[in-house]
Amino acid sequence: SPTGDSWGIFTFLCAALCNLPALPALNCSEELGAGQSIQQTYDLTRYLEHQLRTLAGTYLNYLGPPFNEPDFNPPRLARAERVPSATVDLDLWRGLTDNARLAANYRAYSRLLCYLRVLDGQVGTAELRHRLTHFCASLQGLVLSIGGVMSSLGYPLPAGPAGPPAPPGTPAAPNDFLKKMDDFWLLKELQTWLWRSAKDFNRLKKKVPPAVITLRLEAKGF
Amino acid sequence: DSHIQYERVGADVTMKCGSMDWDAAVTWTANGTDIDESHLNGSYLILKNVDLSQSGQYSCYEGSSWHLKYQTYLRVGTPPKEPVLMCRSNNYPKGFYCSWHLPTPTYIPNSFNISVIHGTKEMVCEKDAIPKNRCHIRYLQLFSTVKYKVTLTVTNALGKNFTTLTFDEFAIVKPDPPESVVAKPVPNNPRRLEVSWQNPSSWPDPESFPLKFFLRYRPLILDQWQHVELSDGTLHTITDAYAGKEYIIQVAAKDNDIGTWSDWSVAVHATPWTEEPKHLTTEAQITETTSASTSSFMAPPTTKICDKGAMVGSGAVAVCWTAGLVVAAYSVLFI
Repeated sequence: SPTGDSWGIFTFLCAALCNLPALPALNCSEELGAGQSIQQTYDLTRYLEHQLRTLAGTYLNYLGPPFNEPDFNPPRLARAERVPSATVDLDLWRGLTDNARLAANYRAYSRLLCYLRVLDGQVGTAELRHRLTHFCASLQGLVLSIGGVMSSLGYPLPAGPAGPPAPPGTPAAPNDFLKKMDDFWLLKELQTWLWRSAKDFNRLKKKVPPAVITLRLEAKGF
Repeated sequence: DSHIQYERVGADVTMKCGSMDWDAAVTWTANGTDIDESHLNGSYLILKNVDLSQSGQYSCYEGSSWHLKYQTYLRVGTPPKEPVLMCRSNNYPKGFYCSWHLPTPTYIPNSFNISVIHGTKEMVCEKDAIPKNRCHIRYLQLFSTVKYKVTLTVTNALGKNFTTLTFDEFAIVKPDPPESVVAKPVPNNPRRLEVSWQNPSSWPDPESFPLKFFLRYRPLILDQWQHVELSDGTLHTITDAYAGKEYIIQVAAKDNDIGTWSDWSVAVHATPWTEEPKHLTTEAQITETTSASTSSFMAPPTTKICDKGAMVGSGAVAVCWTAGLVVAAYSVLFI
């Protein structure tokens, strides 16, 4: 039964926290007003990338060595596969339709946000908690922004991160070190996604006119 | 028969005359020149603390018959120091190249072996014909979280050495400098210079991977550069050039989001437009010319209030304005 083990608790937490972004999005889409163009989404990814650099630096120091060593290059464990990867075959990436491109970004950040929120709940120092909370708020803004672009282009939003964010059967980290490894890979994937998104949105900028239907963002904390 | 023998600089070298006994009578030559007996220990040739100049062909002849008994080519050199390795992607997202060299020469032949490991996969770095000491790799995947580890091993007869580089896909992106930089004066604008350039031809996809640019310029007579960062476009007009001064201008490029700035482009020189020098005239002639052009407006006599003398005083300005309006009105009528 799910209540007994820590994995079940994790899944429950994630599902609960992850259903939160859906609500403000519904409210927002009804208020057609100021614009959320692809350019703004692109700018958001650059801003987040910048924010992440500081956050990651602080967080990795908190994890301690070897995680904060610049040459740290661990092999990817199978368990790390549950974090969505930005890595993609070059030709495949080039050939993505606008819908697929946007959807991949939307899904990835929704899940990453989810994981980050769990992290936020667990982290030790007040400074880190503050940074993480702020970052999560900005990241939520990005998810909404991408959702806005998709809606205005007439694409359906991908199903939210409903269900367990990881294949069932993957246990929560059995020890402290592996938990830290999970955190390390989460930050790395987030960083890579932000780099990739800049390129994704560059491509979209060229193919889609800049002024699409705009939404007024009034998400909490943004 | 002939050999090649490699020895370190500073080593002591003992050469035996093939299978001859130690007490046999032999003569040694170095590049055809007889070697003095003081260097011999029996039939062995002793070279102490060898240096580079002692490289060459050494031959040993049997004393009386002058039969060639042994020949060797001595190459004096050093084992390799740690090589210098550099990897760079100037053609993102196609791939990257690595190039290397030795910090100091070894004076003997070296062989290089490069290995590229990406996560668990070993990738093949294809050697370039020109330049030597360079190889290139094509990316199979983009946006990788796993670092690339490149190891270069250099080996020669006296030893080996190696160096390793570990990097993220994004960290090594550095375009080539912009090409065809052209700077031109702008006619009738003594403080402007129009600069244009092109994307480096090695950058394969500027549409999806746009470049941004950094322009720097200064007059030749000053040391301080002025900088402008440009997020798109390959054209810029400098509007604050010092009139009449020759400028030096350079441009650099960078991927919009990742990597580092390119080296500076080839420098171009340009001087802003200057007016053609007029003939030297006296003060009186200049005044006359000015009054003459004012009267070409076909204005009524009242405009004479706005002659040169009246304009200087501020009290006359209001008068000038009304007169000017009258002039304008009349001019329109006459067009």
